Amino acid sequence: MTSIEVRNLTKEYGTRRAVDDLTFDVLPGRVTGFLGPNGAGKSTTMRLVLGLDRPTSGSATLGGHAYATLREPLRHVGALLDAHAAHGSRTARDHLRTLAASNRVPQRRADEVLEETGLAAVARRRVRTYSLGMRQRLGIAAALLGDPGVVMLDEPSNGLDPEGIIWIRQLLRRLAGEGRAVLVSSHLMNETASFADHLVVLGRGRLLADTPMREFIHARVRPRVRIRTTDPAALTSALARGGHDAVEHEAGHWTVEHARVDDIGRLVSAAGVPVLELSSEEATLEQAYLDLTSTETEFTAQPQEA
Amino acid sequence: MSFAPVLHSEWLKIRTLRSLPGTLLALFAATTAFSAIAGVSETSDPEFDPLFMALSGVMPGQIAAISFGATAVSSEFHGGALRLSLAAVPRRGRWFAAKATAIALPVLAVGPVTALAALVAARAGLGDAANGLTPGEQVRGVVGCGIYLTLMALLAAGLTALLRSGVGALSVLIPFVLVVSFVVGDTVGGATDFLPDRAGQVVLYETYDGSLGPWSGLAVTALWTAAVLLAGAWSLRHRDA
Repeated sequence: MTSIEVRNLTKEYGTRRAVDDLTFDVLPGRVTGFLGPNGAGKSTTMRLVLGLDRPTSGSATLGGHAYATLREPLRHVGALLDAHAAHGSRTARDHLRTLAASNRVPQRRADEVLEETGLAAVARRRVRTYSLGMRQRLGIAAALLGDPGVVMLDEPSNGLDPEGIIWIRQLLRRLAGEGRAVLVSSHLMNETASFADHLVVLGRGRLLADTPMREFIHARVRPRVRIRTTDPAALTSALARGGHDAVEHEAGHWTVEHARVDDIGRLVSAAGVPVLELSSEEATLEQAYLDLTSTETEFTAQPQEA
Repeated sequence: MSFAPVLHSEWLKIRTLRSLPGTLLALFAATTAFSAIAGVSETSDPEFDPLFMALSGVMPGQIAAISFGATAVSSEFHGGALRLSLAAVPRRGRWFAAKATAIALPVLAVGPVTALAALVAARAGLGDAANGLTPGEQVRGVVGCGIYLTLMALLAAGLTALLRSGVGALSVLIPFVLVVSFVVGDTVGGATDFLPDRAGQVVLYETYDGSLGPWSGLAVTALWTAAVLLAGAWSLRHRDA
């Protein structure tokens, strides 16, 4: 079982709907970024997948099986929900060994994942002496313990130093490359953009988007070209002939909205405009996300097939 | 998923938290010490019961057994530990049964050893005053004491699961054991004999004249413990983790 299927999943706490009729899949071989503001229902969805909370209606399954029916679930699904789950008085190694024992995972796996997450040197220190970043690494180590096909991490880059952030990016890419289904929640856009292939976006418990990341960005943010020249007059007239508007910026460069660098490059070189710099300004996930959430109320989500 | 690996995991959890084996050591030390002190104290009380005098260290000592049960469960109610445990073992009933077993076994091992040490220590002080004790009574006291301490640890474990808080369970049980039983004590009469601690303590006396005997008293305590454990298990199964 290497996928997560969420079907019409709804969870109410009292009268508040934390998760509202969610349907999406997390497929193997790619990293799915799970986005949404705090309180959008990301963590609740993960708890529902793990059978920790009971859905009000709908279902979340792993390869068609409810989590609670899995024999030795750590061998199928690894999750980081809370970096503070490890008891402060236990050593990291003991913490992992107790977990491993419950699912008959060989005890040597504890040492392997400690090595993998860079904690081998501090494995015999009590967890209460750990920084937040080290606790995150321990939580990730616990998730990897059973060598699972599905990995679910809730805000894994919290508290990590810059080196740790690069490490987790590479780790997530590698896990997906090995054919695992990887779901990673975050509210950091640039961070998510650096590792995700696919996005599931929530807002107030509802599904706002379920699309490949590139498509998500390109559908919502228009391309823009940045250009620098020694002859602004020639540039503007050449662009005007091509039907483009150029906007001058204080820093001395110009930008052309709704344009691709291939078109603008040909146009200005054909007109003999001296060009110092020509580049496409990459649309960011952040822009696309903000565009989506600003129109959230009128946006009706249509789950798309990948 | 079978029971043995889950029990192994829960046993490792207890063994790897330094405070838990420490609590069992405290159980042994406090019980033996208080019994030894009782052994050399004044024994002219007309209601003097040599067996209870020798095992009276259990009265303060049981606080350690209660703490052991409460702490072993309450460690799961900090910072998402329970979620991690239940993600590893989603069969909650089985998980809690393993937890209770892992709590019961060490107390069941340490309890009789403690009672025996207390008896020996107290008899050293009691001297001739304890000569009337038969071997059978002493074995019954030692074994019964081990069972009593185990039941109290499990009672605390069940209550902690029910209240989802070790502090909550301790602040119910410790005043109850130390104060309520004594204050209500003889005033109400028959009903107090059936309180979980009072019923089980009959086994610590050489002579008893209430409605319960040593083993029926322990059975009443076991019923209380079973009820609270089941309530704890029910709460665990039916609430979101």
